[in-house]
Amino acid sequence: MTPWLLVGLPVAAAVLGVALRRNDLLARAVAVGLGAATLLVAVLAWALADGSAVSAGPGLRAGELAVPLDLVLDPTRGALAAVVALVALAVQVYSTWYLETDDRYGQFAATVSLFTGAMLLVVVSADLLLTVVGWEVMGWCSYLLIGHWSRRAAARRAALKAFLVTRVADIGFVLGIIGLAAGAGSTSLSAVLAPWRRPTACIDAALADGALAGEALTACGAPDGALRATLLVLVVVGILGKSAQVPFQDWLADAMEGPTPASALIHAATMVAAGTVVLAALFPVFADSPAARWFLGVAVAVTMLLAALLAFAQTDLKRMLAWSTVSQVAVMLSAVAAAPPADGADAGLLHLWSHALFKSLLFLAIGWAALAAGGTAAMALRGSAAAAPVLRTGFLVGFLSLAGVPLVVVGGLSKEHVLVTAWDGAVQADGPGVLVLVALVLTAAVTAAYSTRGYLVLTAHVRQQPTATGVPAVVHGVLWVLVLLTVFGSLVVLTGSFAVHQVSALWMLLSVLVIGVGVAVALRGGFDRDPAQVLARRFVPVADAGLGVDLLYRRVVATPVLRLARLVAFVDTEVVDAYVRGSAVATRAAGWAGARLHRAERPSAAVGLVLTGVVLLGALGVLAWS
Amino acid sequence: MVMSLLLALPGAVGLWLVTGGRGLPVRPARWVAAATAAATLVLAVVVVALGSSVDRPWLPELGMRWSFGLDGISVPLVLLTATIGLLVAAHAWAEMPTGGSPATFLGCLLLVEAGALATFAARDAVLFFVAFEVVLVPMWLLVGRYGDDHDPRARADAAHRFVLYTAVGSTTMLLGILLLLARAGTSDLRALADGAGGALGGGTQLAVAALLVLGLAVKVPVFPFHTWLPPAHTTAPTAGSVLLAAVLLKMGTYGLVRLPVATVPDGFTRLAPVLAVAGTVGIVWGALVCLVERDLKRLIAYSSVAHMGFVVLALASGSETGLQAALYANVAHGAVSALLFVVVGGLKQRWGSVDLTVPRPALRETSPRLGFVLLLGLAASLGLPGLAGFWGEFLAVYAAWDPAPERSRALFVACAVAAAVGAALAAAYALRVAGIVWAGDRPDPEVATTPDTSGVERVVLGVLAVAVVGLGVAPMVLLGTTADAVARIGGGP
Repeated sequence: MTPWLLVGLPVAAAVLGVALRRNDLLARAVAVGLGAATLLVAVLAWALADGSAVSAGPGLRAGELAVPLDLVLDPTRGALAAVVALVALAVQVYSTWYLETDDRYGQFAATVSLFTGAMLLVVVSADLLLTVVGWEVMGWCSYLLIGHWSRRAAARRAALKAFLVTRVADIGFVLGIIGLAAGAGSTSLSAVLAPWRRPTACIDAALADGALAGEALTACGAPDGALRATLLVLVVVGILGKSAQVPFQDWLADAMEGPTPASALIHAATMVAAGTVVLAALFPVFADSPAARWFLGVAVAVTMLLAALLAFAQTDLKRMLAWSTVSQVAVMLSAVAAAPPADGADAGLLHLWSHALFKSLLFLAIGWAALAAGGTAAMALRGSAAAAPVLRTGFLVGFLSLAGVPLVVVGGLSKEHVLVTAWDGAVQADGPGVLVLVALVLTAAVTAAYSTRGYLVLTAHVRQQPTATGVPAVVHGVLWVLVLLTVFGSLVVLTGSFAVHQVSALWMLLSVLVIGVGVAVALRGGFDRDPAQVLARRFVPVADAGLGVDLLYRRVVATPVLRLARLVAFVDTEVVDAYVRGSAVATRAAGWAGARLHRAERPSAAVGLVLTGVVLLGALGVLAWS
Repeated sequence: MVMSLLLALPGAVGLWLVTGGRGLPVRPARWVAAATAAATLVLAVVVVALGSSVDRPWLPELGMRWSFGLDGISVPLVLLTATIGLLVAAHAWAEMPTGGSPATFLGCLLLVEAGALATFAARDAVLFFVAFEVVLVPMWLLVGRYGDDHDPRARADAAHRFVLYTAVGSTTMLLGILLLLARAGTSDLRALADGAGGALGGGTQLAVAALLVLGLAVKVPVFPFHTWLPPAHTTAPTAGSVLLAAVLLKMGTYGLVRLPVATVPDGFTRLAPVLAVAGTVGIVWGALVCLVERDLKRLIAYSSVAHMGFVVLALASGSETGLQAALYANVAHGAVSALLFVVVGGLKQRWGSVDLTVPRPALRETSPRLGFVLLLGLAASLGLPGLAGFWGEFLAVYAAWDPAPERSRALFVACAVAAAVGAALAAAYALRVAGIVWAGDRPDPEVATTPDTSGVERVVLGVLAVAVVGLGVAPMVLLGTTADAVARIGGGP
């Protein structure tokens, strides 16, 4: 029952929120109150979770296909649900202040609640169909949230772009899920995993008996490897879209047009992180398919480095955080791509957990700083952390975590685990482990560099210190809670919710070294100058334009599709409809001719009739004779 | 008894309104029509609850029976028709088209409803055909006389096209029915489904199936027989558009399930690849036209072509999942398209035209309730889970991916891929409309605002919105209703 409550509470909050949207006070009470209740349920569910417990769903009678619609809860899912609910609650509390004067606060809060419900559904789903439901609903909510300020053309465009890019990628996701379900005749997660896994024990036994590889595969009823790889690649395509990975990366930076709390939600705990959750659920099958692992590995290796470089050179610090999300989500997914089959994908999920904490902290803090400074550009934000003590601490802790400094903060620990997992994968050498490891190390250095940059810019000493007045104590409280969790969140490994190995001191030393290099590079221009201006002055305009990928999307997809659509519309009216119009014209012509022929006063009509009759008879005779 | 009453009540009152009561002023006529439609809905619920049916000899020499009854497949459609009937009758308070006497208009609505109810309840092939035809003339009147009064020529053209095109389709279907009747020796749909039709030879089955599918494809409509639909929708008054989309198109797909799929399964199997390709082309074709179409009513009509493509693809797949998907998507499209046509019809009434190139104040700013319902309809149209459109279309793609065993796997998988692409295109056109009509700049105080929905229109929209959400949140109710009847028809032979 608990998982249904977990999904139901935020959805109920959304429905109530829409109903009460005109009264800000009630809308606020519903959003925050039910958000808190969701967090409570999630924490309880996590604390009480003992092994994996499936709650039966209502089920659908869909002919041959079994659709049980079950949910499942285990400690890992419990931990993820708790962090999602926590970030959502933080966002709700923060929005009561941030959107205080917004005339559509009610709609915003309701959409955030629905978004939370959809993400929780993906987390606790034990049915691929429910996963698709949560997945798509999240996409729709992102459209509404990014386009919240729909009076601005830029926000409308960003919302449209976000939805369409992810939806195009979802063609792959839906087909992949359908294909996997078709192989099992069921959408239940456990039923789907079974027939697509490689029956390793059986094959090994057969091989030991001296059977040939092909015979062993047939005898054990092994699934079709090529089909499995195709389907998983399709699923991964969808995940690359939702997680803003190459080649779909460009929508996320534009999505910064949305209100900052929405960005915090989308980046920290939902939407972009959902792909990691889905792949972790499919991991037993995914691990058996080297082709799919390589596909994902290459995509995320390229993404994490590219996005980190782009983040470094952004003039807008909110967009810098957006690109850092792209890079960090690639780090999570890289753990799934490279993990040895025996280890599972928990290192990626652990990084999701810690990323949710520090990224929500960074976003909420930068939203506050931007309000104080009056803009999100690096120039405007210079020194804005001085607006409140919690901002200074928050940025310090957040950027330390983003850079992945070990032992001090939560992000450091989880990144170590990802590194170790990639190393294990590289050693076992049947996946993209080496590639991922190299990319991870390079990315770590660049990440350290742009984290340094962000911190330097935000905490620079400026003569006129910005101030933000009227920030309620509860918002201070939210940020302090996130600061504390970012520092002490690493203790989550002690609960055993994530199955990860120990990290050796050697790895930590190596990380510190790599981070040190990144920091040193960033500090080349001294403490007072923006490192991006020192190191990458020429690259900045290119990076701000996201390498011009937007133009590429338009040239390669949008324009040809619209051209085709115009052609189709033309053919529809001028060709497909022509025979209909033609038959109408022919009927009318025949009627006219008949009427004309039957006018008695025209003697020529009779002649015409006779002539026609003769021609027809003649034609008949010719046909019959030949 | 109740069954006969259900069919007779709207039929009799409708006939009286178009003949004897034609001079009735608008106010009593509205009440009469609304009361009749409400009573019909109550009767429909009673019939469904009691399982009432009627079965008498009709033309004993030909073995035809006056037989009406419901099963799991027809129950949702009867309820849908009765509900839509009440909603369009109520909508007369919001919009009463000019062009003739109000009583005739309302009578035509009731006659269409009566014909549709009889079509869904008929258990005899000839009876089915007769009921199917009854709908044509009142619908023709609705489009031709009460349609858009801006352009009489376009109105006449749309009405003629509608009636001629569908009459040609019906004639083809009649040939199919007569051939089936002559060869199988019975017109009882239950007997035909239980094996009397399946026992026919392969050639006969193919001929019967081809005639039936061709005739019904016009009604659905399946690409390339869809070009009558956009002009008819553009011209028809709101109530006519709603009936057309939510009831008349459903008769086509219902006919496909009852006649070719159930009675001549082997013949249908041989035609299935053609039908699947036609349906899939319709999905992509309709969506592409929607990307550039300027008239919002035409756009929704083309989106109907795309949605019916999913239904046809699912039917062609031949599996039980496919049948379930088709029946679900059928009803879902009824609710969604009714909602969209009420909104768009309302917009046309307010604006005079629904040309998308004319800049107008954004609905989200000036009339948030209308905007919300429009957005809901668009979201359902693009297949958002939790709303009506999703389940049918997802299951349709699944059914195409995994068709019944005797069908070409490669072809159907290709169709599934194309259908999934069509679903992404649906998102593009739905958001195109949302971007133009719903979202926009802060309105200019100088420009007249669009009045928000109120009164009866608001109630009608509210009911439809609840139906769209309800179907999406609890798909198990509808799928559970149709499951047993579908299992009886089975996944092909």
